[in-house]
Amino acid sequence: MIELPSLTAAEFRRLCDFLYRRTGIAVADNKRYYVERRVRDRMIATGTTSFAAYFVGLRGNADGEIEKFVNSFTVNETYFYREDQMLRCLSTELLHRAIAAKAGTGPLRIWSIPCSSGEEPYSIAIWLLENWPQVDDYDIEIVGSDIDTRILEEARSGIYGPRALMRLSPQVIAKYFEPLAEDRWRLIADLRQSVQFSQANVIEAAETRPHGRFDVIFCRNMLIYFDDASRRVAAENLYECLMPGGYICLSQTESMSRISPLFEVCRFADAVVYRRPIAGGHG
Amino acid sequence: MADAVRKRILIVDDASLVRLYYRSALEGAGFAIDEALNGLEALEKLLVASPDLLLVDVNMPKMDGFSFLKALRRQEGRASSTPALVMSTEAAPQDREAARAAGANFYLVKPVPQDILVDCAAMLCGLPR
Amino acid sequence: MPLIRKGSGPPASPASVDRDATMTALRAGTREERWDAARALAMFPEAAAALGEALSTEADQLVREAICTALVRINSADSVDAILPHLRSDDANLRTDALDALKAMPVAAQARFQSLLRDPDPDVRILGWDLVRETGSADATRRLAAILDAENEVNVCAAAIEALAEIGAAEALPALTRCAERFPDQPFLSFAAKAACERIGSQAPRPHD
Repeated sequence: MIELPSLTAAEFRRLCDFLYRRTGIAVADNKRYYVERRVRDRMIATGTTSFAAYFVGLRGNADGEIEKFVNSFTVNETYFYREDQMLRCLSTELLHRAIAAKAGTGPLRIWSIPCSSGEEPYSIAIWLLENWPQVDDYDIEIVGSDIDTRILEEARSGIYGPRALMRLSPQVIAKYFEPLAEDRWRLIADLRQSVQFSQANVIEAAETRPHGRFDVIFCRNMLIYFDDASRRVAAENLYECLMPGGYICLSQTESMSRISPLFEVCRFADAVVYRRPIAGGHG
Repeated sequence: MADAVRKRILIVDDASLVRLYYRSALEGAGFAIDEALNGLEALEKLLVASPDLLLVDVNMPKMDGFSFLKALRRQEGRASSTPALVMSTEAAPQDREAARAAGANFYLVKPVPQDILVDCAAMLCGLPR
Repeated sequence: MPLIRKGSGPPASPASVDRDATMTALRAGTREERWDAARALAMFPEAAAALGEALSTEADQLVREAICTALVRINSADSVDAILPHLRSDDANLRTDALDALKAMPVAAQARFQSLLRDPDPDVRILGWDLVRETGSADATRRLAAILDAENEVNVCAAAIEALAEIGAAEALPALTRCAERFPDQPFLSFAAKAACERIGSQAPRPHD
C-alpha cells in the first residue's frame, strides 16, 4: 500500500485558491486535514500519485473532476435542521430586519431553492414555530423549488427515514411527525400544507421571476457547481427575487463574493449572509 | 518574535507568486501571514479576523485595492482602521494621493524589494527596528 | 397553526420580448428598466454591439453587471469584441468588469489572446496575461513562451510568469529562465521564475491518450 504524501502548505493554498476562484468555496485553515483526506481519496480514484499531477487534472476538469471533488468535499446528505446556526440567524437576526425593511404589509416570504426532498423548507417551518416568538404575529409563506420534479413529489409526500430526523429532538418529532412504518415518519398535514413546492431552474429567469419577491432566500450548496456564466445569471435571478433589504443565505463554506458584487455582506453571530441593498445600491 | 506577540499580516493580491514572495520575506522576519486574492475575499476574511496590517495590491479583479479600502474604511468595527500598505505599479504623485484618499497609510511602487517590504511592515505594525 | 399558510400559485409566464423597445430602454430607461433590458437582450446575439456601446455610458454598477452578463451569455466573437475596448477604459471598475466578463467566455476569448498580449499598452498586456492565466491551456505554451521572450516591461513579465506558472508545460522553462536573466536587478522576477519552474517541474508528464 503506497503512502500518499500529505499536502505542503503551498499546495494546500494553491488548491484553496483554485476552489475559491472556481466554486466560491472558502476553506477555513483548520479544515486542512479534512481537505487532505478528500484529495487523497480523489488521487486514488483518479490513479494519480502526486498532488501536482492530480491538480493538473482538477484544473482541466478532466472527467468532470471538479464536480467529483466538490461532491466529496461537501456533505450532500440532507436532513432536518442541517446547519441550524443559519436557522438561528433567521429567527434572531434576519426576520426582524427584513420586516423593518418591508414597505408593504404582505406576508413574509421565504424561499428554499434548491429544496431537494423538502428537509430545508420544512425545517424552516418547524424552526419558526418552535423558536420565533413572533411566529403568530405574521403571515409566513414558505416556498420550496427544485429543478427535479421527482424530488418535488417526494418533498410533497413529507415522508422521511431516521437519518433525516437525526438532529430533531424526540419532542419535535412527536409534535410534527406521525410514525408510518418501521423506519418511516410522515409530517403532519398542517406542516405539509405550510410549504408550497414548485419546479424552477434558477438559471432561467422565466422560471424564477413568476415566484415574485422574497424576504429571505436559502440557496445552499448549489452555486458552487455552476460555471462562471451560470453563476452570474443565477445571482441576477436571485437578486431579482429578493425584496430590497432581503437576505440570501448560502452554506457556511460558500462565498457569494466570488459570484457577484450585487449583494452586501452581513456578518451576524451565527452566520455570514448577503443582503440586497435597500435603495440605490452600488452606483 | 514569540508566538503570542506575532504580528499578523493579510496579503491581498491576485497573483499567487507575488503573495508567495511577500510571504517568504515576511514569514522569515517572524510575521504570521494570511492571504486573500481580491478585495471581496479580503472583506469577507476581515469579518472574522483582525490582522495588524494589510498589504493591498491596487490592480485586482472583482474589487480593486482602492475600492476595497474605501469599503473597509466605511465599515464599523476594529478591522476598519487596520493600517494598510498599498502596492501599485504607478509611481506618479497623483496615484499616491489617490491611495491616501482611499485610506492607505503607506504606498510602495512595485516591484517591491523584500528588505524594504519587511522594514515597512515592521514600522506599520509598530515594531521597534 | 393559524398563521403559516400556503400562498397562491405562480402567475402566468411573461409576454415575449419586443427587441426594439428593449434596446431603447437600455439607453433611456430608469435604472430598473435598464437592468431588465440588459437581461432581456441576452436572448438576442445581434444585440452584442449595442450592449458593448451601452457599457461606455452606463454609470450604474448594477446595470453594468447585467450588461456584462448578457454579453457573457451571448458568448460569441461579437460579444468578445464588444467587451475588448473597455479593457482600456480609464474607469478601473469598468476594466475589472470587462476582464471578468472575458474570463467567463474562455473559448470565445481565446481568439483574441495573441493581440492582447502584443498590445502597445502594457496595462492591456497585463490584463491579457491575467486572462491567459485563468482560461488558457498548456497547449499554447510554446507560443506564450515566445511572447514572453519578446516582453520588456517588468510588470508585464511578472504577469506572464504568473500565467505560465499556472498553465504552462515544460516547454516554458527556458523562457522563464531567460526572463529572469534579462532583468538582473529585479529580484522578484528571479524569485517568480524559479517558483514557476518548480511548480511546472513538479507536475507529472501528461499521460498519453
